[in-house]
Amino acid sequence: MKPLTAEERERAFAPTKKEEVIRRQRLSVRYHVEDFDVSDRPRRFLEAFAAILKHTNYRFALDHYMRVTAKCARCSAACQLYMATGDDRDIPCYRSELLLSVYRRHFTLAGVLRGRLLGDPGLTDDKVQEMAEAFYNCNACRRCTMECPMGIDHGLITHLGRYILSELGIIPRNLVLSVREQLTGTSGNTSAVPVPALLDSLEFLSEEMQDEKGIEIPFPIDREGAEYLFLPAVSDYLMEADTIMGNAAVLRATGDTWTIGTGYFDGINYGLFYSDHVMEKVVAKIVAEAHRLKVRKLLIGECGHASRTAKAFFPAFSGDGRESLPVVNIVEYAWQAWKSGRLKLAPDVIEEPVTYHDPCNLARTGWIVDQPRELLRAFCKNYIEMTPGGRNNICCGGGGGLVSIDEIQPYRMLVSGRAKAEQIRATGARYCVAPCANCKKQLRELMAFHKIDCQIVGLHDLLYKAIVFE
Amino acid sequence: MGTWIDLGRGPLFRLAFAIMILGLLRAFCLSLVGLVEAYRRNADRIVPWRAIAAQTAAWLFPAGRFWRRRPYYGTASVFFHVGLLLVPFFFVEHVLLWKRAVGFAWPAISVHTANWFTLLAIVAGAALLGGRVFHGGARALSRFQDYAWPALLLVPFVSGYLCVNAHLAPGAYQAAMFIHVYSADLILLLIPFTKLAHCVLAPLSQAVTAVAWKFPAGAGDRVAATLGYADRPSWVERGRLESAAAAATAAAANNEVFLK
Repeated sequence: MKPLTAEERERAFAPTKKEEVIRRQRLSVRYHVEDFDVSDRPRRFLEAFAAILKHTNYRFALDHYMRVTAKCARCSAACQLYMATGDDRDIPCYRSELLLSVYRRHFTLAGVLRGRLLGDPGLTDDKVQEMAEAFYNCNACRRCTMECPMGIDHGLITHLGRYILSELGIIPRNLVLSVREQLTGTSGNTSAVPVPALLDSLEFLSEEMQDEKGIEIPFPIDREGAEYLFLPAVSDYLMEADTIMGNAAVLRATGDTWTIGTGYFDGINYGLFYSDHVMEKVVAKIVAEAHRLKVRKLLIGECGHASRTAKAFFPAFSGDGRESLPVVNIVEYAWQAWKSGRLKLAPDVIEEPVTYHDPCNLARTGWIVDQPRELLRAFCKNYIEMTPGGRNNICCGGGGGLVSIDEIQPYRMLVSGRAKAEQIRATGARYCVAPCANCKKQLRELMAFHKIDCQIVGLHDLLYKAIVFE
Repeated sequence: MGTWIDLGRGPLFRLAFAIMILGLLRAFCLSLVGLVEAYRRNADRIVPWRAIAAQTAAWLFPAGRFWRRRPYYGTASVFFHVGLLLVPFFFVEHVLLWKRAVGFAWPAISVHTANWFTLLAIVAGAALLGGRVFHGGARALSRFQDYAWPALLLVPFVSGYLCVNAHLAPGAYQAAMFIHVYSADLILLLIPFTKLAHCVLAPLSQAVTAVAWKFPAGAGDRVAATLGYADRPSWVERGRLESAAAAATAAAANNEVFLK
């Protein structure tokens, strides 16, 4: 990969805030942060850290990681940020050490004693600042985790670091504004979509599909006792009409009962990006809606983090001792339907070269890797594999919530998305399929920025073209 | 000198070995107990044990992956580990020593084979040290112990080689044996308190990570309560210094981004 030029580096890391704001917040990070209490920050960081260690499960993992870390730098070869910048601070293990060293110094007996003996003052304001920067440079894509011989999950440490920072009020403003609307706003979702607007747009899409496909493809609303509650990233309703139509068409073809709940219809859960507290509250909203409508399963739309949070955290947070509902991703659903013969696809409908981008939150654990590929091969004449792909994929560069932080766009284009842009260019594909709302936004910006002639689409955008109704 | 050497490979060896075993047992149990406690604290008991076992096995026997990243370093590391495990435990003279200490013996490798594995370990160890010094990323990460360990581990290998091949340094046998015995004792003593504890901890790592991603229900509320703001969590609290008007403008700007 071509290293950053001096000019690109300057552009990617240029300050995005006024001097006065940086001075007031004493925080020289590129993402915008709402004003927060800046006094006595190291002490408050340690208090938040202590409270989190007390009530969660992170402590034993930190203890373990601290003992095994071998500092072999193998992760550096897997990290797209380090590949782009060559900056030591972008090595995953270096970033993790920022937090591990605080843990070692302040929360282990040996560290406290050594600190007293050597007169080490411990956590400083500068170090809090360094963490605030480092943890939001990281895409939390967990590619490095696959390469750590010691099994350290640097993504988990980034996740924890952000959680601690969030308790101090250090959260990218765009993320917290969306969450505030979702948890306390009148619309109750991250894009502030009111129910009437949702219904209007669904009606419009339904008519559109009637015209195009010649059959009625409904969006069932508040249908009690349906098999599936459908939860896409709510932004899909506004910005990914083709994906939503594809989702509805697949569900129409299979004939399963499904519904969209007007009580809650947003799959997005930014808690994964900065706070376990938020994550649990958002899951609770989904649980409440699922029980209100008495559905049997959750069907998550084309969205990586929404799928992962539902799949991985619904069982923990579904509460009240009730049995948690099975979570299915729409890609996996479409694949199963196609495999069982309930979904018919016309072969070779797409003649242009097509490639597939694996969203980290779907592929890293090996959950959804082969299914979309098999589907694409079924109706694309010229499917091209992107390398590396599958579990070992490279992140789009917008992972970990970074895509929602508009002010760091130059960083996302030049640094975090650099490897992905080159990867897509190398395939020569005209369509790049990315079944994730975040990946789509980032990849579209990347294609425009790097002047690559490739259209970014969802899997269901193309399925919609290939689907055959009997 | 002979008495000192006997002390070093007799009682002191047994002491260092006992401390190593107890220390490693402690480290292993701490991680294991933490793992079990965390598992029991969670409502979610869905853990992909089979995948965890597969990953763990793949890292313990990394034939399919050591060359994937930093291939030279990875290759050196594998050979180094092979030498580290084979020679101290299976060299025929060592097996006799172990028999004296623990009371029973196991199949041994010959002097000739041990010689070759010793040379392999020395070359690989030197390569690891080089891989650390000459790789910018590794250098940035390295602490004192990361340089000291490969160097210290090489000492008993080099001195042991000189003892077995006494013709290389005639007259230095006693000194080499002294260094050999005491450096080995020191290593055994230090293993449980340093990163070398990974010899028993690394097999737990995949399970630790999988369980650490399971979050206990209600923890977020309890954290907020402990920090004294259960009624105004961080996502509700607008900065105390920021005016309501500025916040509204920011919110509107944000929505424009979503709606454009």
